[in-house]
Amino acid sequence: MGCCCSTSKRTGTPGYEEPTVLASQTPCEYHDPSLNVTVSEVEALHELYKKLSNSIIEDNLIHREEFQLALFRNKNKKNLFADRIFDLFDLKRNGVIEFGEFVRSLGVFHPNAPLEDKITFAFRLYDLRQTGFIERGELKEMVLALLHESDLELSDDMIESIVDKTFSDADINGDGKIDQDEWKAFVSKHPSLIKNMTLPYLKDITLAFPSFVVRTEIEESDM
Amino acid sequence: MEQKGGVLMQKYELGRLLGQGNFAKVYHARNLITGTSVAIKVFDKEKILKVGLVNQIKREVSVMRLIKHRRVVELYEVMASKTKIYFVMELAKGGELFNKVLKGRLEVNAARKYFQQLISAVDYCHSRGVCHRDLKPENILLDENENLMVSDFGLSALVESKRQDGLLHTTCGTPAYVAPEVINRKGYDGVKADIWSCGVILFVLLAGHLPFHDSNLMELYRKILKGKFKFPKWFAPDVRRLLSRILDPNPKTRISIAKIMKCSWFKVGLENPDITATENQELATLDADGIFEACENDGPPIAESKHELTKPCNLNAFAIISFSTGVDLSGMFQKTVSMKEMRFMSKKPASSIIFKLEEICKRLSLKVRKKDGGLLKMEGSKEGRKGTLGVDAEIFEITPHLHMVELRKSNGDTMEYQKLFTQDIRPALQGIVWTWLGEQPQQDQQHHEVVQEEHQPSHTA
Repeated sequence: MGCCCSTSKRTGTPGYEEPTVLASQTPCEYHDPSLNVTVSEVEALHELYKKLSNSIIEDNLIHREEFQLALFRNKNKKNLFADRIFDLFDLKRNGVIEFGEFVRSLGVFHPNAPLEDKITFAFRLYDLRQTGFIERGELKEMVLALLHESDLELSDDMIESIVDKTFSDADINGDGKIDQDEWKAFVSKHPSLIKNMTLPYLKDITLAFPSFVVRTEIEESDM
Repeated sequence: MEQKGGVLMQKYELGRLLGQGNFAKVYHARNLITGTSVAIKVFDKEKILKVGLVNQIKREVSVMRLIKHRRVVELYEVMASKTKIYFVMELAKGGELFNKVLKGRLEVNAARKYFQQLISAVDYCHSRGVCHRDLKPENILLDENENLMVSDFGLSALVESKRQDGLLHTTCGTPAYVAPEVINRKGYDGVKADIWSCGVILFVLLAGHLPFHDSNLMELYRKILKGKFKFPKWFAPDVRRLLSRILDPNPKTRISIAKIMKCSWFKVGLENPDITATENQELATLDADGIFEACENDGPPIAESKHELTKPCNLNAFAIISFSTGVDLSGMFQKTVSMKEMRFMSKKPASSIIFKLEEICKRLSLKVRKKDGGLLKMEGSKEGRKGTLGVDAEIFEITPHLHMVELRKSNGDTMEYQKLFTQDIRPALQGIVWTWLGEQPQQDQQHHEVVQEEHQPSHTA
């Protein structure tokens, strides 16, 4: 299982990778081999992936519109955060989420994935301009985006004071931006901030998208 | 046949063989990660493929995922290898209930307890649109505390396939538990058919033998179709009345579960429902999730005791943006928006929000159990499917003039909560809500329905 030299047997699916290989390469496994995603879980994710990646363009790749359709039931709905998540999932930065990218990125959202990974992912998500820091301007932009998303209009003074208050708590060294360490400290004080980095659905994914097709070599215990 | 020491998917260590049916073998197994014991049902893939029911089984598995009741054996995981399909399930440590009956009929109170538990499990599943269709002794198990657990709920495809094989009829004669309309093989209502089987099971518990019995299969069918059976002389009038209403060969006039639950024989001993224990567990896990961290009121304590409430927690900017629907990936996994937590913004001061919530409680006869740091714990007055409903409302301060309120279920049956929320709580809040967070415009939701196929479990086969 998980042999390193396996060649993809399925050529029909671009971006399709051997579930056994992926199963041993999800983020969870890097930290603790006992928490790895099983082959069955990867197979189940493939069932889900097939559905999402063919919802608009039937090419087995998740395009931005398909991602928006899945999240918002509306392919044209733009959202700053969804855009950021799409970009983070699109590891190769080629404008689509391939199956391998899908499985690896979702691994962070597994209830058993290390907290550290979730904290880092959230940091990268909020570091809009990828400078290695969450800047004050970025935080304000995100608050505005959230308010806009919910049709809330607040006075600029009010928004400024919300952002100021948060910055005075999180920006420990007072340099006007939040670095990784400050972010970690802030999250450990407010663990609910990364609640959205966990998807309980991944726990029973094999029930939500059962797949009885096995394309891989799995050892058989003969029963 | 017995095999030990095999490890499945690097996750489960297989133990002894627990049972064997036509379609599957059941093994004891241990989850190597958590150490918990489970039962693994192993199906021969080829057989399943041959009867062409893969899609139906998949559909049923994904419906079963939503069934969580302590009297129903939980399905944890489904796996497949080249030749086998594995169902990882909760282990019922007490074995089959009918091993008890083999030693002789049960006392009325013991039989009643099992029947109550059976009805509560069946009622819960029916409320989720899931029927069993094959309730029979092998599927009625016990946990380590001698409480009943129903297995194989919602997996009727595997039942049907047994029939296609013709195996069910030849093996152990279990049509004894099957309702007349099922024998007739007309389209039938799975709800009513399950009620019939529950009646047969109750009869067997009390009598120690089957109500319908004949060594000739055709003769047995005839008896079932006519609903012809005799009560043993020790059956009291009240239970006779109940059983005649359940074992009514006409599914249209057969008693409903709601009526069974209202009947006086059934209600004896129910004042102390055994539900509370799990619900407490459920609560504990919820708390462990840390829905919101304990409130840190680092500011100076407010010098007023007019309100019984302490100041609500502050909500920082990152907490606000974490509620964005754009970060909520759950839409990929489910068709309907879940109502685990609902949040709204309000421009009213905390005291008015609390006043409004208390007013709603009074009207809906909910008790306010606890108030603390902006958290209101409310509780229903009636026993529901999974205990009394508990609703938490938590108020967070964003600025003194802007609050966010989060409402969530803390206890009880999700469907009952959703009904209460949409029909009563939400409309009543109108006066204080500025806007609900994370709401999708209506027309957008419909668009999605076209894309993702719907599967509604139906009662009729």
